Amino acid sequence: MKIGPIVVTALVASASAARGQSPGVVLPERLAPATRSAILRLIDSARTVGLPVAPLVDKTAEGVLKGADDQRILRAVQSLTRELGDARGALGGTTDLALLGAAANALHAGVSADELRRLQRASAAGSDALTSALVTLVDLVAKRVPVSSATSSIQDMLGRRAGDRQFAALRAEVEQDISAGLSPDAALKARVGLQLRALDAAPLDARRPPTG
Amino acid sequence: MPDDGQGRVPPALERAVELLREEEVVSPAWRAAVLGAVERDADSRDLELRPRRFVALRTAIAAGIVCAAAGSAATLAVFRWPGTVATVAITPQNPTQVSTLLPVHFSVVAPSAASVSIVGDFNHWSPTALPMKRSVDGRTWEIDVKLPEGRYNYAYVVDGQIARDPSAPQTGGDDFGVPNSVVMVRGT
Repeated sequence: MKIGPIVVTALVASASAARGQSPGVVLPERLAPATRSAILRLIDSARTVGLPVAPLVDKTAEGVLKGADDQRILRAVQSLTRELGDARGALGGTTDLALLGAAANALHAGVSADELRRLQRASAAGSDALTSALVTLVDLVAKRVPVSSATSSIQDMLGRRAGDRQFAALRAEVEQDISAGLSPDAALKARVGLQLRALDAAPLDARRPPTG
Repeated sequence: MPDDGQGRVPPALERAVELLREEEVVSPAWRAAVLGAVERDADSRDLELRPRRFVALRTAIAAGIVCAAAGSAATLAVFRWPGTVATVAITPQNPTQVSTLLPVHFSVVAPSAASVSIVGDFNHWSPTALPMKRSVDGRTWEIDVKLPEGRYNYAYVVDGQIARDPSAPQTGGDDFGVPNSVVMVRGT
């Protein structure tokens, strides 16, 4: 009987248990034991229901790097866990991690689950475009474009099969106009109008490949 | 066996075969001495096997302990950075899933900075993991990072201060007071 691997496994397992950690997860020493335990429970819960746990670990690391206190880190991880679950529910149980992360971030920015569903329906051609759309949407909201206005505009673009290039251009143009003095909402409306006209005029293969 | 084409073995070869077939005549005393030596050798080998088995067992256990210690040390070394701040990390849940790494170029203009690094979901937010290099113009800091396809939150650490990338999309909300940037990594 080969006991070497068994000994190694047992030692690693006991070391993890001694540190109060889930297998594969290393938490920062800076966290207080209570915070560490609470985050580990969240991670275990997320893993149990099939949610990705890496974003939760990354959020913890981000908080530690940025010098946030334990309670703030815990609240952020709790919030992200809830948003990941809500995003997955709204998007029909997607397993696309990039899309799930973008959708959770959109919820965090104030987009509703219903709006997420509408955006998904509008982007029936593929999840890559929806991910790009959500990243752009969140960026617009961060630039103080009203959520409802930004969501509606992005939905219109998705409906016309806009892709990465169009969303990147929209973001850059809106930022430029805001810097020039336009209000965020006015900048968005002007630029989306131009984008939609260009999309209507362009052949489908010049927008993005269908990836559904 | 070669023959001369008529089924006969060459005479020289036939003599050699005959010599090999002859039994070597040895004295009974010499035969007994040789057999005794062989038996003693076999006994001694048998006795040596047991300690070797135990040595092998002890070696396996020791190797296991060493591997465990080395593994733990390596994990801590990789996922912690020097100083007072420690970060967190997670090992891949399914190591069999191997993604293609795609090159991503990051650059930020910071002419007066003494040091710039990039932190994000791809390096466990470690400020020492990916230091950026000043470009030849002296104003821009750059780095090429190979990443699997995905969406990553990231930021720059400029002289110890965290700052988002002004040229990239911004994340929603700022849980910790400083918003992040987002990069989408995709193959063509």
